[in-house]
Amino acid sequence: MSMIVTEGLSKRYRETAALSDLSLEIRPGEVFGLLGPNGSGKTTTIRLLLGLIRPSSGRATVSGYDCWRRSFEVRQLVSYLPGELRMFGALTGYGMLKFLSDLRGGEGLDRAAAIAEQVMKLDIDRKVRTYSTGMKQKLALAQAFADPVDILILDEPTSALDPSARNDVLKLVGAARAAGQTVIFSGHVLSEVEAVADRVAIMRRGRLMHIEDMHARRALRMLLARFADSVPGDWPAELELTLRRRVDEQTALFEHRGPVPALMAWLAALRVEEVAVGTEDLRALYDLYHGPNVDDAA
Amino acid sequence: MSAPWALTRKLILDSRWMLGLTAAALFWLSWLFVFVAARTEQAIREQIGENDPARTMRFLRGMGGGSMDFSTGAIEMAFWNHPMIILMFCVWAISRGTAAVAGEIDRGTLDMVLSRPITRTTYLLTQASWALFGLAVLGAALVAGNQLAHLRFVLNDPPGLRVVLRPAINLAAIGFAVYGYALFLGAVDIVRWRPIMIATVATLAGFILHVVANIPSLEEWKWMDKLSIFKAFNPVELVVKGDTFAFNTGILSGIGAVAIALALIVFNRRDLPTNS
Repeated sequence: MSMIVTEGLSKRYRETAALSDLSLEIRPGEVFGLLGPNGSGKTTTIRLLLGLIRPSSGRATVSGYDCWRRSFEVRQLVSYLPGELRMFGALTGYGMLKFLSDLRGGEGLDRAAAIAEQVMKLDIDRKVRTYSTGMKQKLALAQAFADPVDILILDEPTSALDPSARNDVLKLVGAARAAGQTVIFSGHVLSEVEAVADRVAIMRRGRLMHIEDMHARRALRMLLARFADSVPGDWPAELELTLRRRVDEQTALFEHRGPVPALMAWLAALRVEEVAVGTEDLRALYDLYHGPNVDDAA
Repeated sequence: MSAPWALTRKLILDSRWMLGLTAAALFWLSWLFVFVAARTEQAIREQIGENDPARTMRFLRGMGGGSMDFSTGAIEMAFWNHPMIILMFCVWAISRGTAAVAGEIDRGTLDMVLSRPITRTTYLLTQASWALFGLAVLGAALVAGNQLAHLRFVLNDPPGLRVVLRPAINLAAIGFAVYGYALFLGAVDIVRWRPIMIATVATLAGFILHVVANIPSLEEWKWMDKLSIFKAFNPVELVVKGDTFAFNTGILSGIGAVAIALALIVFNRRDLPTNS
């Protein structure tokens, strides 16, 4: 059973479509990345899941609960880190954690304080108004990771953090997954999403463009080969080789997901002049939908 | 700790200074009014050369006719009609009413609170309960100032606690009505300045209509009073007779309750946008 399901989920503001016909399923215990530029619909999706806004059409469920009609039950299962973080400046860091914990019946306060002090290195006796933006984000992250919930929704969780704190957050995401929590990780930093996500959804202008299985992607090898003769037209299916792009008559770029020995044997049987094997990061995939060569009107 | 109590603690932290200072101001104003009433009675006694308080009262009532009352309570309560007193209740009401939803959206903290497991109904009713408690504190401050001043100053016929409670409750009911429409205005908006502006203008307009309608030379404009909630507050009558207490307080509480119910309906159905 999927933990989160959306079916034709849409949100319109008068003439503007903030989200159009989003259908996806997120499995229990997976880290699901949401990628896309500002205005692509990531935050709208998250706010719909939390029941903060009502869908114009379609529906979303979390653990079987309708996100709008049964929003209270949904929020019992979810902890949320807002992208635009505002806090009560008059409270101390500890006071803020206590307030947020008390809204959940007082659960998780000790763990939140421990994460804030020991992992995030925060002085939680200081007033929140004296915190920098990054420190506030760390405090909110401490609370999110401490909440005893099934689902974490993190909207740009590292946007204000220094590099070492970013690494700490990625480790905490990994720990959450290991503990069986489902994580939605929305962000702009491709390398971070790539590092932690099991699957990644790429969004553009309120539409879901592509979902990538990151485990399969990590197994992907890119093979650039120049043949003495022309590029071969076919090859054994067990190679799991796909022609990505023909560079010229003799040179081609392949995607390879199969066993390496079979590939090597196949190449050895051909007259190959040059060969390069590498991997492909998420950027290449992302650029298919948001790169400089993408038609804006598309 | 339960979510409503956590929220209440937060509200206390947010508004304790405003409530405390306003209550203190009302207490001392009420005290001052008793002092002024004592001085007024003393001046009247000196003017008519009488030392018998009961005879003085009979004289004053006889002089003023049926529509006039110069009892101690009436003199004291005339001051409770002072705009400053009413204003303090209204400022509390508008402040808390507009802070509940629009204020929290404006400062961007509503997301964080309502992403926790607390229903919108619980959230709004907790806000309303705190505001109502604050109105009760303000009313109690007025009553306390009045009653404690009676122990200090010599008056002919000081009104007792039960009598003074009537105008205090009536005044709190005015605040409740104002709170109701301020909360409703805040519940439909995304910025705080607009509901503050509309609620303030509506409240001031109601007060001006009430004042204009009661100018003796403007009898033909008397109908304006029907448009003002301040028509339902007459502290002198409440102390002297008290006939209008139940009706006026009921009407004002009804306005407040209906407005809060409407705010609940709107708040439960609306989208909660980010503050950007």
